[in-house]
Amino acid sequence: MTAAIETRNLSKEYGDVTAVEGLSLCVNRGEIYAFLGLNGAGKTTTIRMLLGMVKPTAGEVFVLGKEITGVGEKPWESVGYMVERPYAYAELTMRENLEAMCRLRPGTSKTAVERMIDLLDLRRYADRRFGTLSQGNKQRLGLAKALLHEPDLLILDEPANGLDPAGIVEIRSLLRELVIEQGVTIFMSSHILGEVARLVDYGVAGRIGIIHEGRLLQELDVAKLESHRRRRLEIRGRDMQAMQAVLAAAGFTAEAGLNGTIALGDERAITRPDVVAALLVSAGQAPTMLKVEEEDLEHYFLRLVGLDLENSL
Amino acid sequence: MNNLAQATWVELLKARRSRMPLITLLAFSLAPLAGGFFMWVLKDPEIARRMGMISLKAQIMAGSADWPTYLGVLAQAVAIGGIILFSLITSWVFGREWADHTINDLLALPTGRPAIVLAKFLLVVFWSAMLTFFIFLIGLGVGALTGLPQAPATLFQESAVRLAMTTGLTILLVTPIAFAASAGRGYLPPMGVAIMAVILAQLVAAAGWGDYFPWSIPALYSGVAGPAYGEVGTVSFLIVFLASLAGFVATFAWWEWADQAG
Repeated sequence: MTAAIETRNLSKEYGDVTAVEGLSLCVNRGEIYAFLGLNGAGKTTTIRMLLGMVKPTAGEVFVLGKEITGVGEKPWESVGYMVERPYAYAELTMRENLEAMCRLRPGTSKTAVERMIDLLDLRRYADRRFGTLSQGNKQRLGLAKALLHEPDLLILDEPANGLDPAGIVEIRSLLRELVIEQGVTIFMSSHILGEVARLVDYGVAGRIGIIHEGRLLQELDVAKLESHRRRRLEIRGRDMQAMQAVLAAAGFTAEAGLNGTIALGDERAITRPDVVAALLVSAGQAPTMLKVEEEDLEHYFLRLVGLDLENSL
Repeated sequence: MNNLAQATWVELLKARRSRMPLITLLAFSLAPLAGGFFMWVLKDPEIARRMGMISLKAQIMAGSADWPTYLGVLAQAVAIGGIILFSLITSWVFGREWADHTINDLLALPTGRPAIVLAKFLLVVFWSAMLTFFIFLIGLGVGALTGLPQAPATLFQESAVRLAMTTGLTILLVTPIAFAASAGRGYLPPMGVAIMAVILAQLVAAAGWGDYFPWSIPALYSGVAGPAYGEVGTVSFLIVFLASLAGFVATFAWWEWADQAG
């Protein structure tokens, strides 16, 4: 079976500005692929190229086995998408907006509109005009439009934007169900690694592609994310200088940690904090705090894109 | 054309739900009402005397208070007002997709972009034609109320044909406006082009080359320059057709091939 999405050496230049450069990625069917990057990293440009909205300067794009950059048949009947913020016709109600989309997607079930209204918990707002909806409900309508025709592939640009915490959990659960129960492939962009990690944390095959300044920096399985994150042993005591001297004498590389702690990055310190504690106690410098800190996802991401914050975890 | 009927239905729904049809009808209704007012002023010498300048102006614009003059005024109003109003409709139908950021939803659908563009053009034609039809009806009502002297039925038939032809020529000229709305991604660029076209049409016609400038031709055809000017020729019709064709092709090409970052 062909990949859901494949790009080969994809590039896009706007005059002197290179938005995307040499991007080659492959999204397998039935997986969640999270496309992660800071604002302006090239995520939306890439999504626009996947959807044929923007023509690449170089390279090729294949979606569900069909070439998007060519003149042949396109796979749009099997693709649902939401690009950037969700917009709709302000003078139409939510239901009318869905009905309009239903007509523009021939073959969509007549019951799809009501099914989407229920699925995304929009019944109370169904007859309200789009212009009067909250940002969260606009986002839900955007997702409803993307899901209306039961697509095989969902391409979502920042799907959690504008949702409240309950809404984020709900949408996360919905997307997970789509992948697990219906085998839908999801390609979603985000600038929040923690959000992505949570989405693929429940037995869903998931990969993360990190884009920075138009280039794909790294692709990794979410399952292996743990092993990429930096861990350190943080220590605090009454005489920090004396403790540092004891640790250095024992061959540990001590660095300044957060909030005035000492941080040890050595593998033996992280795996055997009890040994470090015993060493300090025997030298008369009993620690008042000793804990293994794991780099959080946001800092891992920032470190990867070269924006590491000094002494941060 | 893939799914054209459904795309047209969607365009009609968007138009019906907006206030634009009502606004454009009210704006265009001014033409027969203003024409009727001048007829009324011209008909009554007493009022004409009291109105002073207005009477003079009405005489310059309209000549005498009769059906041929009044129907001529209507045709001229469609030719000049129509360019602005039909352009406004076109700017709204096309430019709104960028102004409201809804363009993204139309670009990767099983309903192809050509079907969506054609549906929009069909809506503009239908909308503009209906507006003209309504102002013709309103014009007949206003003319009758003003008490214009009776005229033969053939005059009304000829006027209806002239009005329809003027409307057709004016509608043909919306395609470059549609292109300006698409390439300019909003309402303002196409309206700027329309206003510029109307100003240029006046200047070019005043210079005597109106037969060769697309936006001057509907007005000249409607008889705005008076009987002394004569009829516009086949070359003028061809120029309007070619300008329309260029706008039509450019709009389709823009939707199909230009980068769309709505």
